[in-house]
Amino acid sequence: MDRSIPVWVGAALALIVLMALPLGWLAWLSVSGEHGTTLTHYRDVFTDPALRRALWNTVVLAFWVGLVSVAIGAPLAWLTARTDVPRPGLIRGLVLASFVTPPFLGAFAWVMLAGPNAGVLNTFWRSATGAREPLLNIFTMPGLIFIVSIYTFPYVYIMVANTLALIASDLEEAAAILGAGRLAVARTVTLPMVLPALASGFILAVLQALALFGSPAILALPAGFHTVTTQIWSLFQFPPKVEQAAAFSIPLLLATALLLQVQKRLLGRRGYAAVGGKGGQRRTIPLGRWRWPALGACLAVMSCAIFLPYGVLAKAAFSRAWAQPLTRDNLTLGNFTFTFFDYGSTRAAIVNTLELGVMTACIGAAMVAVLSYVTNRKLVIGHQVVAFLALAPVVVPGVVLAVGLFIAYTRPPFVLYGTLWILFLAYLTKEMPVGYAQADATFRAIPADLEDAGRILGAGRLRILREITGPLAKSGIIAAWCFIFIGVIRELSASILLFTPNTKVMSVVIFDLKEEGQFGAISVLGLVMLGLTFATVALVQAALGRDVLGARR
Amino acid sequence: MPGVVLKALAKRYGDVGAVDGLSLEVKPGELLALLGPSGCGKTTTLRLVAGFLAPEAGEIWVGDRCLSSPASVVPPERRRMAMIFQSYALWPHMTVAQNVAYGLRFKPGLSRGDREARVREMLRVVQLAGYEGRYPGELSGGQQQRVAVARALVVEPEILLLDEPLSNLDANLREEMRFEIRRLHETFGNTTLYVTHDQGEAMVISDRIAVLKAGKVAQTGTADDLYHRPRTRFVAEFIGRTNVVDGVAVARDTVAHANVRIRVAIADLAPGSRVALSIATVTAVH
Repeated sequence: MDRSIPVWVGAALALIVLMALPLGWLAWLSVSGEHGTTLTHYRDVFTDPALRRALWNTVVLAFWVGLVSVAIGAPLAWLTARTDVPRPGLIRGLVLASFVTPPFLGAFAWVMLAGPNAGVLNTFWRSATGAREPLLNIFTMPGLIFIVSIYTFPYVYIMVANTLALIASDLEEAAAILGAGRLAVARTVTLPMVLPALASGFILAVLQALALFGSPAILALPAGFHTVTTQIWSLFQFPPKVEQAAAFSIPLLLATALLLQVQKRLLGRRGYAAVGGKGGQRRTIPLGRWRWPALGACLAVMSCAIFLPYGVLAKAAFSRAWAQPLTRDNLTLGNFTFTFFDYGSTRAAIVNTLELGVMTACIGAAMVAVLSYVTNRKLVIGHQVVAFLALAPVVVPGVVLAVGLFIAYTRPPFVLYGTLWILFLAYLTKEMPVGYAQADATFRAIPADLEDAGRILGAGRLRILREITGPLAKSGIIAAWCFIFIGVIRELSASILLFTPNTKVMSVVIFDLKEEGQFGAISVLGLVMLGLTFATVALVQAALGRDVLGARR
Repeated sequence: MPGVVLKALAKRYGDVGAVDGLSLEVKPGELLALLGPSGCGKTTTLRLVAGFLAPEAGEIWVGDRCLSSPASVVPPERRRMAMIFQSYALWPHMTVAQNVAYGLRFKPGLSRGDREARVREMLRVVQLAGYEGRYPGELSGGQQQRVAVARALVVEPEILLLDEPLSNLDANLREEMRFEIRRLHETFGNTTLYVTHDQGEAMVISDRIAVLKAGKVAQTGTADDLYHRPRTRFVAEFIGRTNVVDGVAVARDTVAHANVRIRVAIADLAPGSRVALSIATVTAVH
């Protein structure tokens, strides 16, 4: 098995650079004192009342985000997968839009919508009712939960919708013919079969909320409370308390790993023969007179996640004063000139973001393509380990990864802090699992027979890769490229700890602009970011849509 | 046209011996069916012959070339074979003509025109003339099967391998394709190894059948041999609808089962030995 050696060495090196070094340093620094190992940092962290409050806030936030996401995502999934609700394609499209919207942009938009003083919705409420008190205050724990949830529920939606789409109606009808009423069928058949997906969606939502930095930083800090991620960030502010940050990161890391393990078990147990089985048809449930109200409810949710925030961003981008009505006097392109020409770091940041996005996506897509090909075709001994390693970074929240990378690469032999390379490593690690999952699905769908058929007719291994596997995998790998790219351009939680004045990226500049109260410029940059994201999403759809249909028709 | 010789082949998956000391000879120009229940090692044997797997023991010879041994394995692309897959394995991104022409690209001394002429001719033979520009996804199952056959035969392989090629077709089409494959074999005369688990299919299509059990050849012979002269209970039960009766030989030509005595045509039994008597339905009618 000599040909497996280069792959092994490569994978081992990549693993060391991307995971072992940062996490190793993180763990080491969290227990190292002036005189050997110590647990003082942990004691400091867990006895400090402020830090304990941050920990508790995170638990509250994550739990409620999980619940609210299930409450929104599950009904939406059921409506689009199983009923005759009008325009299911539109609803799916809007859920996708909410999925790819950077949550911190949504949070900014909601500051403009529901800030207690100048928020558009509150101004409207006051003028409509004459009340003095604001209707909504986004700078509260419920406000934060709401904002995080409207961009996190798509995780639940995807899990549940995909499961529902796979459960054949036969199973439900089998229960009905045995005498179970509608409710009984739902309780005894449908719900138990969806339950693992539901629970696992809940866990994914909780994980998102645990790891999120942007929204808490925008909404919780002004409200005067911390979460774990913002707390870690503030430990990094001058003078940095790196050891404490490391000690504070470990519980977050462990919680994530534990929850993912639980999720895996939930999905892995009970082989749902029915799910994925052939044949069985899915019949839609008629909603009758509830069809249009159901669509209305979906659109109401989506207006919170998409229409209102996008609208207020667009308005703010083109107006002198975002809180004022959009009259002729208020209309301006000044925000664009300010953002792109007057404000110091914007253009450099856009260039940095694009550079990092393209570089990470290209190298990342190439890596996941090779790794998933090797694991799918079982080309090396221990290919399962390769797959595990490629998916492992999923347990590391962005902030924790950043703390680890910061510690590892501010000291010899690798001094990368202050360069774009440290951001590149952070992004590559963070996006690896997403890209790998996509590439893996791609190669899984290409039977080895197709390659063998070419071999036996006289084509060598490389020619097969070029003429058969390559063309068939192309669209899937382009999709992996796009997923990585989208992940990079919106990344904030690791960037915020790793940037230096010369290596700012768009998300960091948006964060800076917020400190200065430049809402017009934030909106402009936000629109640019959304434009880039949606252009990339369109590319994915084109790549997958056309080729996949062409191949499987 | 060379034959194929397998000498004491072995290949294990983990602890399971998929192929376990299998020896077999396919004569030049013969169509030999590898028949057996699932898990008997027939597909593994075929993939060993194709060179997709390396044997742990034993050798594979084609004519005077040793293609596989534990020490060295000639890669599939240099074996001058062709294979028809259970899944057909048509390339979805190539047209019918491109699929069929693929193997010809690796034949030296063929001009573009030669290749096109051969592809056209082969598509005519499999009754797919006019389908050159279609994609596999636009064809029915039976048509896809014909494309797979054309792609394999057009390269004029020394050895043709078929891995359960009919199992994805519905019953009528399967019947039709059996005769089609037999007809093509008689036209082209390739040395052919045909894997199947369907004894009816094996009997109709092949010159000889090798019945496999647990990675070994249980018996080789013509359909007639296996049907009328099975050497083991396994072969008797697998090949034909048969009743097997345990008994004791009481004379050179008589078997006793409880208080029934049965005379048999083979008259060299050792009196007193335990025997299994196979009564095929056809025999019983006579």
